[in-house]
Amino acid sequence: MIAFDYRAPRSLDETLAILQEYGDEARVIAGGTALVTMMRQRLAQPACVVSVRGVAGLGRIEATNGSIRIGALVTHREAECSPLIQERLPVLAETFRRVGTIRIRHMATVGGALAHADPNQDPPVTLMALDAGVEVQRAGGGRELPVAEFFRDYYESALEPGELVTAVTVPLLPAATGASYVKFLPRTADDYATVAVAATVTLEPDGEHCREARIALGSVATTPLRERAAEALLSGARLGERLLKAAGSAAKTAVDPLDDHRGSAAYKREMTAVMVERALTQAWAEARRAARASG
Amino acid sequence: MAHRIVGQRFGRLDGADKVTGAARYSADVTLPGMVWGKALRSPLPHARIVRVDASRARALPGVLAVLTAADVPDLLVGRRMFDMPLLARDRVRFVGEKVAVVAALDPDVAEEALAFIEVEYDELPAVFDPADAIQPGAPLVHENPGAYHGAPAERPHANVQSVLRFKLGDVDAGFREADRVFEHTFRTQLAHHGYIEPHAGVIALDEDERVQVWASNKMPYRLKELLSHALELPPARIRVNLTPIGGDFGGKGSLMDLPLAYHLARVTRRPVKMVMRYTEELMAGNPRHPSVVTMRTGVTKDGRIVARRATALYNSGAYAAFKPAPSVNLGGTSMGAGVYRIPHLLLEGFCVYTNTIPCGHARSPGEPQMLFAEESHMDMIAKELGLDPVELRRRNLLRDGDALANGHHLEHVRATETLDAALAASDWAKPKPRGVGRGVAMGHRHIGVGFTNAQVRLETKGTVTLTIGLPDTGTGAHLVLRQVVAEVLGLSIDEVQIELATTDLFETDSGVGGSRVTHTGGRAAFHAAEKLKEQIHAEATKLGTPDASFATIAQAAAREGRTLEAVHFYDAKSHAAVTSFTAQVAEVAVDPATGQVTVLRFTTAHDVGTIINPLGHQGQIEGGLIQGLGFALMEELQTAEGRISTLSLGDFKLPTIRDIPPLTTVIVEDAVGPGPFRAKAIGEGSISPVAPAIANAVADACGVRIVDLPITAEKVYFALQDRKGRS
Repeated sequence: MIAFDYRAPRSLDETLAILQEYGDEARVIAGGTALVTMMRQRLAQPACVVSVRGVAGLGRIEATNGSIRIGALVTHREAECSPLIQERLPVLAETFRRVGTIRIRHMATVGGALAHADPNQDPPVTLMALDAGVEVQRAGGGRELPVAEFFRDYYESALEPGELVTAVTVPLLPAATGASYVKFLPRTADDYATVAVAATVTLEPDGEHCREARIALGSVATTPLRERAAEALLSGARLGERLLKAAGSAAKTAVDPLDDHRGSAAYKREMTAVMVERALTQAWAEARRAARASG
Repeated sequence: MAHRIVGQRFGRLDGADKVTGAARYSADVTLPGMVWGKALRSPLPHARIVRVDASRARALPGVLAVLTAADVPDLLVGRRMFDMPLLARDRVRFVGEKVAVVAALDPDVAEEALAFIEVEYDELPAVFDPADAIQPGAPLVHENPGAYHGAPAERPHANVQSVLRFKLGDVDAGFREADRVFEHTFRTQLAHHGYIEPHAGVIALDEDERVQVWASNKMPYRLKELLSHALELPPARIRVNLTPIGGDFGGKGSLMDLPLAYHLARVTRRPVKMVMRYTEELMAGNPRHPSVVTMRTGVTKDGRIVARRATALYNSGAYAAFKPAPSVNLGGTSMGAGVYRIPHLLLEGFCVYTNTIPCGHARSPGEPQMLFAEESHMDMIAKELGLDPVELRRRNLLRDGDALANGHHLEHVRATETLDAALAASDWAKPKPRGVGRGVAMGHRHIGVGFTNAQVRLETKGTVTLTIGLPDTGTGAHLVLRQVVAEVLGLSIDEVQIELATTDLFETDSGVGGSRVTHTGGRAAFHAAEKLKEQIHAEATKLGTPDASFATIAQAAAREGRTLEAVHFYDAKSHAAVTSFTAQVAEVAVDPATGQVTVLRFTTAHDVGTIINPLGHQGQIEGGLIQGLGFALMEELQTAEGRISTLSLGDFKLPTIRDIPPLTTVIVEDAVGPGPFRAKAIGEGSISPVAPAIANAVADACGVRIVDLPITAEKVYFALQDRKGRS
């Protein structure tokens, strides 16, 4: 037997106390879709497994001023099916829908998807493009940091020992804004992305110029990436097919993918250009629709 | 002929138990005092074992035994060619070869103990590619393979396990008759079967020292023989108990861990269970051989094939032990002739030793490899000749009386009808949008042969019990056998029970495999039921009540201390003069920006015999087709320097239901099979033409010819870029 302590606290305070006690010897389990696999493969051998499934208060989806706050224990399936998210941030509901299979989505949690810091996951990419913030608690305090600063390296997040992701806060889209998530799955429908891109495009009142664009990439580096050079090309520019293609080409030079079973690094780089262009094209079309609807 | 039960759609009667978890597979067998075995595997592709020190592992609490080569008999095991040691002795020949084995109170301790076994290796030069392996001076995987028991005599190079050759006419003369000669080379990948159940087995020694075996093995009687040899025990000391099998696809016929489980049981005096992790399956199961196939064909100006030479190099890995055919080769090599009449033919398959995972049989062994090459080659020839690919096929299709590559003459050839059926159902001639292509491919598959015992017994309640020594590997074969008995005896399906015999009951049985079960098991059950029917009639006549119910008859016999029962041993030694043709059409879209291939629809037409259970029959067609689709598009054990890197089902991808395009099946029924009620076989008919149909469709859609499987988006993309760069 590979023995480990197992704790199942009922409150956040109790959880944080346990995490403080065990420090980096503890691993949090919620849905278990990532940790169980890692433990089976002996990539993780925690001294203590802290199940947070019974912790009260971390499973809510709520509208706050200008944002949607999603508790860490909300499952992917709940996020995908939430009327609030479907109505106000359909791109996020769609992103959760693209994760794995329905069996995985019923177990995997929003907080877990962030804390796992796997660069191949879908939700972090969209959350990054939406400029979401991660709420983190530890015994005696908390902090909030942008998703863009949350990922440090391959399977490594900014979480310190003793800290727990408790929620993610996602700002609603500004007026005249469209968003998209493109997951490139050339092999099978049930896979991690070969390349994933989330994009937002906000139009100026003239409906032709781009006020702001945000681009986030998944599966092309050791962490999800914000692609600011390509964003800068679009900001203030008059949008057109050629410009979106140029943004795709710019993104291609920013990525540093690995060769793996989902494609060679060279292919992923080429596909980054194609998928960024496609994501921007979709987001732009959405933005025009949004502008027309409000105008 | 109208039937009552044969031809009816029956859902799987064992399905509920399987989906609810009630079915007891080998891995579920739990015995009092049972302990777990785990194997330590080589991290190196080729090395001398300098030293093994298991003392620290032996000292670990909960560890009952650690065995190395020094602790087990120095003998070699196999199915036909005996070249594999129980544990690596002096030398390891592939990454994943077993070096030591541990028995412990629970599986975690057993696994933990593996880390405490110290093995010192001295690495040797290794060879991974079959073409490299047959060069002069290549590292030798085995010093003297010719000396192994069961080794075929012909050995052009010490790294060649076996050569399989099919010849018709005079191929050199044939090429001299040709106006044009075409040659192309193709490659197929290493692919695991992807069954859900990994290899599992339990071995227990009972009080009178008999060896009790529960194993995911499709050939219980053959397993008994092989174990008798491997354990150096008389067959009577071994009993194999049948369990349901969670998928076979050709992979569940070897000894795998069973001899080691036996030695652990012998040493610990406890029952021992060994269950392979899926990672172990992917690194050391017995997957489908990768191949390099060169096709050379001579044709006349009007598109008649006059000569063909096909050469397949199969990368067989470090041992031949998993291959079950007497040739120690892949029968699918004969498929180099496709479904065509070719007067001058030479087909050769070379199984080559390398320092990689030993390969074995997988659903229609060798055929998906050869047909991918053959049917792609046909389209490439058609293109060169400026002929429609269908027309080139039509001009060369087999006809009644033609010989197959093995010299077997065919009757009732339905190749043209099957092709026509597929073309009509796929809208072959209809216009296609830009970026969409259609591809056709054909194949055929024999009806398997072998031998099976069936026993039927009339129960006093009037029902009949069919006892059989064939496990159901997940195909629904047992349901088919029950239908056959119910049909003969005029019973409902529920009135026929099936009982699994242990290997104590019958003398022998060829087991499951090679598209044989409906034929051999079905005929054994049919004739046994006919015999019982005669007994029942005789009994009724004796009673003077010809209309007496089965229950009355059985009870009357029971009162006299008799049971009405009959056994039939059916032995089909040679193949029937009929085969089953398949014609398939893939329709695909290719995204020029990414190379992504989307299969839009797929049509498969089959020339079949009487269908016993249409539902199970369709399941076999669709299952094979989906397996073919996985082989065509995604399934690949990726390797570098003999190391497999796709070591989980997260990386070795199988198609999921969302990857399956709309499927259309056309049945061309012509009841001339050798099976019961003139049935043919279906289990291996649909898999092989899928990959070439898709490759041909991709070429039609975007002009790019992919000659190595799987057809990934990346290969198509770079081929498109390449072509753009050249033009």
